Formats: sequence, structure tokens, C-alpha cells
Amino acid sequence: MDVKQRIHDTVTSHPVVLYMKGTPQFPQCGFSQTAVQILKACGVHQFASVNVLTEPEIRAGIKDYANWPTIPQLYINGEFVGGCDIMKEMYQSGELQKQLGTPAAA
Amino acid sequence: MLDPKQIEKWIAAGMACEHLSIEGDGQHFAAVIVSAEFAGLNRVKRQQRVYALIRDKLDSGELHALSMQTLTPEEWQDRQAHG
Repeated sequence: MDVKQRIHDTVTSHPVVLYMKGTPQFPQCGFSQTAVQILKACGVHQFASVNVLTEPEIRAGIKDYANWPTIPQLYINGEFVGGCDIMKEMYQSGELQKQLGTPAAA
Repeated sequence: MLDPKQIEKWIAAGMACEHLSIEGDGQHFAAVIVSAEFAGLNRVKRQQRVYALIRDKLDSGELHALSMQTLTPEEWQDRQAHG
């Protein structure tokens, strides 16, 4: 199966997918760590994650998949939402919680 | 070490910016980019517009990461007035 198809299958078979460096338990980049923290702050503790550091093909392919050259990348219901900056902005405005279907943090 | 001024040059060479400032420590950089070209584009499309100008530097590893605030001149003015 080609990389694009693999990515498509992953993002469409899980409601929330984070492509990151490292794992949610052990992020290996500050931006990936921030992305995990934001998801948790939104009340999302169970989400699919892909460690691009152990998947070189995915690491290269994901950049073309979303036309987005950096990691992390967040997908909700199969749609690319953004990277770390966008997640931060959307969290602050409450849009991310809405899209994730969780109540906005007080 | 990459100079923030160099990143400014890469971006300014590809799009008209009303305001462009980049700060960084040589590894991580944060940019405020104000351009009329962002009007009508969502956040993802705005950053894609900028990424297109620096994609080769990111792919080569010359630039590791660039945080971006992408604003239209109107949004920038609002922020100046209320921020």
C-alpha cells in the first residue's frame, strides 16, 4: 500500500490523530509536546498518534499529504486541522474544543 | 546559526508584507507576518502560503521550525488597537 493510502486510512479510521515526534508519553520535540498538552487540556486523553521518528516513509509522506512541511500535524475526523500554532490559537478561542466535541475548558 | 533576518528575506522575496518580524535563538523562530494576501484565507491556507516560500529550507533542515502569526493588515490594526 502506498504511503498516501496508509495515511488516509489512519486519519479516517480514528476520530483524532496526531502525527508527532516521539509518543504522547515521551514527546521528542517541544512542538509535539505542546500539541499533546493542548489535546489533554481539551479533555482528549485517548487519541491515535503516529511517531514519525520511527516511520521515515510516513514522515516524508505526511508533509505532502497535507501540503504541510512540519510536525506535529493534527487530524480530526480525517481532516487536517493544523500544526502547533493553529492548535494553540484554536484552543484559546475555544474552536478546537468545539471541533473535538469536548466542553471548552473554563 | 541561522539569522532571523535571513528568514525575513526568504519570506519577503515571495510575498508582499505590510509587516514582517522574526525573532529566534538560531534554532526556533517566531514570526509575525502581516499581508493583505491573507485576506479570505483560513489559518491553514495562510501558513501554507508562507511554508511554500521556505519549504526547501525546512526539508533541508536548515530551518527546523517557524511559529507563525499570520494576520491581514486589518487584523493587525485591531490587535494594535486592543492588544
